Amino acid sequence: MSSLIDFLSLQDPNIRYVVLGVILLTATSALVGCFSFLNKKALIGDAISHAVLPGICLAFILSGSRNPFFLVIGAFATGWLSTYVVDVITHRSRIKEDTAIGLVLSVFFGIGIFMLTVIQKSGNASQSGLDHFLFGQAASMVGQDLMVFSTVAIILVVMVILLFKEFTLIAFDRNFAQAIGLPVHLIQTILTSLIVLAVVIGIQAVGVVLMAAILITPAAAARFWTHNIRTMIVLASIFGAVSGVSGAYISYVAPAMPTGPWIVIVISVIAFVSFFLAPRRGVISRMLRQRTFRRTINEENILKAFYQLGEESREFRTKRLPEEILTRRSMDTVSLHKILKRLKRQGYLINSGNSWELTEEGLAKAQRVVRVHRLWELYLTTKLNIAPDHVHDDADTIEHFLTPDLEAELERVLNYPKVDPHKSEIPYDRT
Amino acid sequence: MKTEIATTPAFEIHDLTVAFERKPVLWNIDLTVPQGKLVGIIGPNGAGKSTLIKSIMGLLPLSSGYVKLFDEPIDAVRDRISYVPQRESVDWDFPASVLDVVLMGRYGKLGLFKRPRKADRDVALDCLRKVGMEQFVNRQISQLSGGQQQRTFLARALAQQADTYFLDEPFAGVDAATESAIIDILRSMTAAGKTVVVVHHDLQSVADYFDWVILLNTRLIACGPTEEAFTSAKLQEAYGGKLTLLADVADLFRRENFPNRESGTTKQQL
Repeated sequence: MSSLIDFLSLQDPNIRYVVLGVILLTATSALVGCFSFLNKKALIGDAISHAVLPGICLAFILSGSRNPFFLVIGAFATGWLSTYVVDVITHRSRIKEDTAIGLVLSVFFGIGIFMLTVIQKSGNASQSGLDHFLFGQAASMVGQDLMVFSTVAIILVVMVILLFKEFTLIAFDRNFAQAIGLPVHLIQTILTSLIVLAVVIGIQAVGVVLMAAILITPAAAARFWTHNIRTMIVLASIFGAVSGVSGAYISYVAPAMPTGPWIVIVISVIAFVSFFLAPRRGVISRMLRQRTFRRTINEENILKAFYQLGEESREFRTKRLPEEILTRRSMDTVSLHKILKRLKRQGYLINSGNSWELTEEGLAKAQRVVRVHRLWELYLTTKLNIAPDHVHDDADTIEHFLTPDLEAELERVLNYPKVDPHKSEIPYDRT
Repeated sequence: MKTEIATTPAFEIHDLTVAFERKPVLWNIDLTVPQGKLVGIIGPNGAGKSTLIKSIMGLLPLSSGYVKLFDEPIDAVRDRISYVPQRESVDWDFPASVLDVVLMGRYGKLGLFKRPRKADRDVALDCLRKVGMEQFVNRQISQLSGGQQQRTFLARALAQQADTYFLDEPFAGVDAATESAIIDILRSMTAAGKTVVVVHHDLQSVADYFDWVILLNTRLIACGPTEEAFTSAKLQEAYGGKLTLLADVADLFRRENFPNRESGTTKQQL
């Protein structure tokens, strides 16, 4: 616990730099990843991240040092080459993009691992730490590394801000972008370069193997929470930063542990939470909505039963026993009782003991359900020529969710009819 | 000046051939359309209607021929031309609002890097009013009906303030009320001297909607005022029996991967 407090207080300047650096790297990777996600090019990030490994090794072999400047150039070169090769394969052959990505990813990564092994066996002392690029090591980022990577990160953020409007338009409607004369090819080349750069700087913290996760997962998680692209990219960056800080923390308490898997676990938890908890798009919210629908249907069906009993006895607002309701709707008494109580709470029913009566509002609501039901039956029989004995089930569903303006439209189209196909009266408001 | 504008055709197409994987979908098209007309592009499925307007917009590589708008190549006049793609060509689950989409119509005028200004918002809102979408300004596009999506696209096109408009199936998936609302807007545009070109499916309404018709089935069948071009003989030619020989030769191009023109492969336009 004390380690966490030490860490969060950012007293140690080393920690401070690592934390700031990692936040910058993971947040920008997530930011750029949003456009990869919106372009439906999520997999290309995976190909790029695996393909930067041979570039890093090559830069090391050629320069003989771990100078981050050379490593960035090497990584950028092979990362770019991989996207180009994927493009060429998909356009010049009958191989589809997913296959091309799979091919490129494994070939480049294989070559990278091969070179890494050769370097490690060579006994060159300065190579130690090169394997950190496999699974990431946030804490190994010091001094010069931090400067180079942070500069690249800032360039990325600036570019995304400058070209935000163009990136968005191309992701949404490429044809239109081309039609208004945007240099679509150039802008996409820039976007690809930004994605490659995001991967190049992100691997310091996450490593090549898991890099795709920090590009795509924050965007996918953020999409659950918002319909606004600006909010989405800000959220994704925050999610990225939070997972990055967790990586920096693990570097602090367990220096031998790679940070990439840790970062990926945190961002995955965020994604899972979003998947379940997000409003509207989340799973739980959808389940709750389904439950609300079911409840509404049950409640309205009971009100309808009251109304139908009322039609029979020509007495709508009179006390009825649950047994009477059950002659109209078959269900167990316990559920019926629950529904009756809910309706009472909502002000549609009142009771004295075990006898229940529609309130004025309850009658109006019941009447509307019956009206929509009969109007819809009439619509299906007259406009769609469906046999009268086939329209009931359909109307049983429609009656619960037709909106008032559609209802008005229905009345207008049918010219305010008096009776439904079964000769039952269609009740209108008595106003 | 005024007479010059009136006599310059809205667009002309010369010896246009377009192929997908070598198979020609448009074959030697030659046509000229004057300004200020409401033009319908009519033809059966797979006749190359969408391909024709995409080629005019310079979105496809041409195997042969050229297109001129206001007597200029497309790249010289893009700010005067508006294009509405098919509704299904975009993902409507994209995180954007109706206003965001309509503002895209201003991007051509804005240029790179610049953000939409207040004046652009005003134009966008005004265009939304014209298509009757003012109450949906901040609605998420994923929640729009088919007709509302088409209206949004039309508003985006209006926001471009162009002189010629190409619309790819603007009536696909819309209800009758929306269709007549859209056609009213298009008519008022041509009344103001704009040229409006519409890919259209429903033969019933052609004579009523359009004053100029391009009848197409891989080759050009007719191009002219509706009463001349939209005759039962011409329709028979477009919709009646396929030209089997032509289709067979087209397939041959694809199978053998043979260039459509002797020098065609080097002449592709980007």
